[in-house]
Amino acid sequence: MKKKVIDDISRIVGDEFISTRPDVLLTYTQSASMASDPIMPGAVVRPANKEQVCEILKIAGENKIPVTPRSGGSSLQEEVIPEPDGLVVELMRLKEITLHKELRSVTVGAGVTFGELEKYLKEHDLLLPVYPESALVCTVAGNVSVNGAGPGSSLYGCIGELVLGIEVVLPDGTIITTGSEANPNASGPYQRYSFGPDITGLFIGSLGSFGIITKVSMKVYKRYKFYDYNTYGFETHEQSEHFMVDIKQHDINGIFTSLYEGPVLELFMDMIGEELGIPAHEWPFSTVSMTIGSVREDLMKSDAKLAKKLCVKNGGHVIGISQLPKQEWNGRLWFFVRACYVHGWHWRTLYHHQTPTNAHQSVEVIRKAMDKYGFLGHTAGFVSGHSSFNAYPHLYFDPQDPEDEQKIRDAHKELAKALFKTGAVPFKMAEYWSDAIEGMDSYMALLELVKKTIDSQKIMSPRKLGGI
Amino acid sequence: MTEVDLEELMENLAQCRRCGICRDAVYEKMGFDGVCPVWKNTAGFETSFMRGRIQVAIALIEGRLEKTEENAESLYTCTLCGSCTSICAAEFDPAKCLESVRQVLNEIPNETRDTIAKKIIENNNPYVDENKTRRNWVKEVGFDIPSTGEVLYFTGCTAGLKLPETAISTAKVLKAAGVDFAVLEDEPCCGSVMIRTGMVVEAKENAEKALDMILKSGAKKILVTCAGCLKTLREDFRERFGLDMPEVLHVVEYLQSLITSGKLKLKKSDKTQKITWHDPCHLGRALGVYEEPREVIKAIPGLELVEMNTNKEAAMCCGAGGGLRSYDSGLAKKIAADRIRDAEDTGAEILATACPFCEHNLKDGAASIESNIKVVDILDLLAQRLE
Amino acid sequence: MDHSVVQKLTAIVGEEFISTRKDVLLTYSASASTSYDPVIPGAVVKPADTQEVSEILKIANEHKILVTPRAGGSSLQGEVIPKKDGLVIDLLRLTEIKVYQDLRSVTVGSGINFGNLDKFLNQYDLWLPVYPGSSLSATVVGNVAVNGSGFGSPKYGCIAELVLGLEVVLPNGEIIQTGSEANPNAPGPFLRYAFGPDLTGLFIGSLGVFGIITKVSLKIFKRMHHFDYNTYGFETPQEAEKFILQCKENEISATWISIYEGRILDFFLEMVGEEYGVPQHEWPPFTVSMVIGRVREDQLVSDSKAAKEICEQAGGHVIGIVELPREEWNDRMREFVRSSYIHGWHWRILYHHQTLSQWHRTLEEMWPIFDEFGVLGHTAGFQSGHSSYNYYPQIYYDPQDEEDEGKAKAAHKELAKRLFKTGAVPFKLAPYWVDGITEMEPYLEFLKGFRKAIDPNNIMSPSAIPRIEGEGE
Ligand SMILES: Cc1cc2nc3c(=O)[nH]c(=O)nc-3n(C[C@H](O)[C@H](O)[C@H](O)COP(=O)(O)OP(=O)(O)OC[C@H]3O[C@@H](n4cnc5c(N)ncnc54)[C@H](O)[C@@H]3O)c2cc1C
Ligand SMILES: Cc1cc2nc3c(=O)[nH]c(=O)nc-3n(C[C@H](O)[C@H](O)[C@H](O)COP(=O)(O)OP(=O)(O)OC[C@H]3O[C@@H](n4cnc5c(N)ncnc54)[C@H](O)[C@@H]3O)c2cc1C
Ligand code: SF4
Ligand code: SF4
Repeated sequence: MKKKVIDDISRIVGDEFISTRPDVLLTYTQSASMASDPIMPGAVVRPANKEQVCEILKIAGENKIPVTPRSGGSSLQEEVIPEPDGLVVELMRLKEITLHKELRSVTVGAGVTFGELEKYLKEHDLLLPVYPESALVCTVAGNVSVNGAGPGSSLYGCIGELVLGIEVVLPDGTIITTGSEANPNASGPYQRYSFGPDITGLFIGSLGSFGIITKVSMKVYKRYKFYDYNTYGFETHEQSEHFMVDIKQHDINGIFTSLYEGPVLELFMDMIGEELGIPAHEWPFSTVSMTIGSVREDLMKSDAKLAKKLCVKNGGHVIGISQLPKQEWNGRLWFFVRACYVHGWHWRTLYHHQTPTNAHQSVEVIRKAMDKYGFLGHTAGFVSGHSSFNAYPHLYFDPQDPEDEQKIRDAHKELAKALFKTGAVPFKMAEYWSDAIEGMDSYMALLELVKKTIDSQKIMSPRKLGGI
Repeated sequence: MTEVDLEELMENLAQCRRCGICRDAVYEKMGFDGVCPVWKNTAGFETSFMRGRIQVAIALIEGRLEKTEENAESLYTCTLCGSCTSICAAEFDPAKCLESVRQVLNEIPNETRDTIAKKIIENNNPYVDENKTRRNWVKEVGFDIPSTGEVLYFTGCTAGLKLPETAISTAKVLKAAGVDFAVLEDEPCCGSVMIRTGMVVEAKENAEKALDMILKSGAKKILVTCAGCLKTLREDFRERFGLDMPEVLHVVEYLQSLITSGKLKLKKSDKTQKITWHDPCHLGRALGVYEEPREVIKAIPGLELVEMNTNKEAAMCCGAGGGLRSYDSGLAKKIAADRIRDAEDTGAEILATACPFCEHNLKDGAASIESNIKVVDILDLLAQRLE
Repeated sequence: MDHSVVQKLTAIVGEEFISTRKDVLLTYSASASTSYDPVIPGAVVKPADTQEVSEILKIANEHKILVTPRAGGSSLQGEVIPKKDGLVIDLLRLTEIKVYQDLRSVTVGSGINFGNLDKFLNQYDLWLPVYPGSSLSATVVGNVAVNGSGFGSPKYGCIAELVLGLEVVLPNGEIIQTGSEANPNAPGPFLRYAFGPDLTGLFIGSLGVFGIITKVSLKIFKRMHHFDYNTYGFETPQEAEKFILQCKENEISATWISIYEGRILDFFLEMVGEEYGVPQHEWPPFTVSMVIGRVREDQLVSDSKAAKEICEQAGGHVIGIVELPREEWNDRMREFVRSSYIHGWHWRILYHHQTLSQWHRTLEEMWPIFDEFGVLGHTAGFQSGHSSYNYYPQIYYDPQDEEDEGKAKAAHKELAKRLFKTGAVPFKLAPYWVDGITEMEPYLEFLKGFRKAIDPNNIMSPSAIPRIEGEGE
């Protein structure tokens, strides 16, 4: 990167907060994404506020330098891998939190993680009821940028559904606020759908391609006081899948509803069952693990009772092991990370959404890929909103065996194609999806038009979103 | 075992999935309110916490990053406090690995590291030329202390040379408890800092010398007041160098039973003061000694123990460890000041710890922000309250 | 309109479905928006399906003909008034409905109104739980295009929150499907946030400026059969606001919540009280009329009890008159129309969202303006989602008195300005807001950028959203 550019940016953020040292740059060549090729950026800058972000983007624009916004760096699908000699804008210094209690909302800076927010909201007896499983490291803004989901989504949907508005710095340095806060007189965020077309949505899942989000405003809720944890066993796919639909249809507050195939659950339990104090059990063909949460006890009890009834109605049986859902929910900020890393394998994931009644299709497609390529792995998932199911397949490989890694990369690519054919959809439009997508030309053309309109120079994360 | 098994080390380093939780996780359930003190108190680039350090380490070892002093900086701007290890979900110990990396890469120039090692080898301590002065404090305790005996008080370099009050207090307390103990004539350094900074060959040489002197004194039990000495003598001597050591105890571990058995009598007090406890990394996270010092404090009349926001497994570090105090004293002090603020937040008047190295750095930190909190060693507290 | 263009259009839809007759055009010159000047278009065309819409737009684009998409024609803020000699595309022939029971969703064509859909879903014991007051004429797609809300919104938010995806024809004729159905293999609509950025939202509240929505997919739910109706009285607005906030926080499943100021309620009941069988009552300064709805009876019993407790904690008292909320709810597809038209006045409306806790602010601004301008009117509204309140002040005028109408217009304009200053937001970006909007240039510029990119010839509903049009307008 040209020295003049570096000097100009230094003037904005101070020498301390920009680096071009090879050791520092090296640590920005990658993220939590495994089996991905590192790419060396030209500089990393850590702005303190939106004004600095704005000035930085102006300079990047003038010099046509590709920019990659970065926050937690925990993304798994290469979303935050920078451009060669590009500029990484790391946003972790934007740490502000403003609570709007009477609006039931909170505004957080791009550097605030779910863990930090959880602590803050807890003091007010509130919660942001969607927790990606990487909650201790990933930021709310970063999760909005990838449109994530996690524990809590079974009731509230993906993170996109909780957004009330954002503050974003566009590639040309313009700062806009969306939602009700677009009105500078507004007392805070209270309505996303204000002022005509919803432009908030454009930035949800945008992977940084349209600008840098400096703040997001989210709905918050009163914390649950009463919980029911239970496991439900089924003998066929249809039974467990229809149970999941029934739960939603009957207005049961299942805040986290996961589905495990027998062998997958056995594998998990082998790895961490004991650590989590989950009793040994002959798990059935498929198991639904559900946490019901409510602010009122009688509602929770009524839900729990009905859930059992619906389980039996669908041909299942109530297993009664509460430790699994309890650990999933209570340990939601850490449990899954542990489950991901307790074994020695590295893995690639292939996040996607299915319909709940199609969950078995993901399992089948993945099993086929495993057989064909001969690798280990698994998939499980959870209800992720009104009628979707978030599956997170893991494809294992030995990190020190390049051949093994290549195999996984190939399998992964093929798997994305096969999943697309089952009707699955990504929620993070990672690069590998662009090969898998067929029959969506006009959609991609519109996306490209949006990109061109907002970022005519294509400086923002140019390879992301299928390289539009 | 002074040699690092490189293959095993690389395998361990590969366990890092770059998830980044070791940066600033806030997780009440495990007590965390932030993780890496260095990340928090620097410009905060990825190189300032474990995820980045590991990437740099791997790249240096694999030769993808040139082995220069600057490129290796992030390996040394780490207190090895182990906070990252406590929260890491993967099956390896990142802080311990980093220690091994320092050893594997110890050909990379680092003047601070080399100077300390040289001083210790030459002088038996990292601070002064004349090691014998470290026993000067004995003159001030008012009774004689032999240099041989079954119970050895191993003072440590910092207490001996920088904070003799702690040594004096310890002597008084032990005496009051009816313990006959000895202090070596020309006490050597435990070599902790050499191990931490990767100078393991030198450390081994030093350890053998130290053990020899200890054994010559007739010691069956070694008491220490320094958390660093404790970990080194109790754990590293055996595990790394295969040395057969007598039992090593921190005085707080030893005292707990003396207090409960009533051997040590303490003055009553009619006013209560709030006190908070800083867990030294080498005492707490490294060896799991959390309760003993708390029990001791609770047994002291007139003190009310309040916990800091982060404590025990999740305690923030004082900033001195891992050679950081020598490598970047400014940063070490900044971290200490941060810890002082944690202590102030509890409303305590006193911040107690059980490691002269922590105490020394925390005092500097307190001074740097003009804090009024009193930083003391737990033994000073006890000594003041002896009947 | 140029004859050759009309011919081309005729070739697409057939003679029956295009008209340039004066009488016909006249009926498309206005909508339910009173106090807006009628404008005679050049032609009206009624396509049968998406393909025809696409072809029509290609022609319009080629000839730079100004297009106004029109569905129910029930909009109140001039949104659907066409351009002189422009083309109205009436979308009522697209009447497909497809239900996906497993996916808990439905897809409807742009000609389906809420009444049609409700009847259809009722067969399955399902519903789309947001009903605008104009349900019997407003189409679902039209309501998405204006981002409306209505009965059911206290629990489910505005209509936008129920959208799972849509099919839209861009001004150049390109057909786009958003949401999970963008995947041609998808079994139906099940997720809005698929394939990266949410493109669906761009068309919600777009008033037709980015293209014509031919289908929309929405979340549907099992129909509720258990309801509790009640009224709650309060001495101050803050108490009433607090009551509602706490009901929301405590998971009270209210499908309808309306706060009435005493004098407005009296006025309202004078008009429809008897018709609805609402007993005489000395209404308190503030009354909350609330409907709690549940799928299960035990949930309802619990909610109803909890609501009473919360009311008393908030300093209010349970009035116990059930007829008001019950009739509002049961007649939800017509009630609002009835009460709007039972008297002889015409009115201008000023839809906006206020924060729930600032409910009183709108009234504080409204009454003095009414006095100042010497107009009559009132406002009603309802709680509309997570923490907002949907207001619709109506300013009355005598339709046969121009001066009176002028006063209403002036008051309307001033009210928009002052409401903006209270932090209120429009949800339909109607023209009169634009005068009230200050310090939002970058925002409008942003929209303008899209407008230019998606519709370079500026043919779609020009001036529907003011200040976002490019040159050449
Ligand atoms: C163990 C583990 C478990 C996980 N589980 C889940 C899970 O359950 N659910 C889930 O959704 N994800 C999960 N993830 C993935 C990851 O945590 C999410 O993608 C997360 O949202 C990324 O947030 P981040 O702050 O780390 O963003 P980064 O990784 O830094 O960036 C992610 C993307 O967003 C862009 N971006 C970041 N910040 C901004 C900004 N301020 N403005 C514009 N663009 C920006 C980046 O350019 C990049 O494209 C998991 C990850 C790990 C390691
Ligand atoms: C008595 C009464 C009560 C009302 N109560 C409510 C209420 O409670 N809540 C509420 O939200 N509204 C209410 N309205 C307003 C009105 O009914 C809504 O705005 C309604 O959604 C309009 O739908 P429509 O089908 O009539 O659309 P139209 O009036 O035909 O069009 C409305 C707007 O959408 C555009 N449009 C229409 N169809 C399409 C399409 N297919 N693609 C792109 N753009 C399109 C038009 O160009 C226009 O800008 C009420 C109206 C009346 C008369
Ligand atoms: S050291 Fe552990 S916590 Fe830190 S990034 Fe690596 S795996 Fe994650
Ligand atoms: S050992 Fe301590 S200082 Fe070093 S990286 Fe880990 S947390 Fe940071």
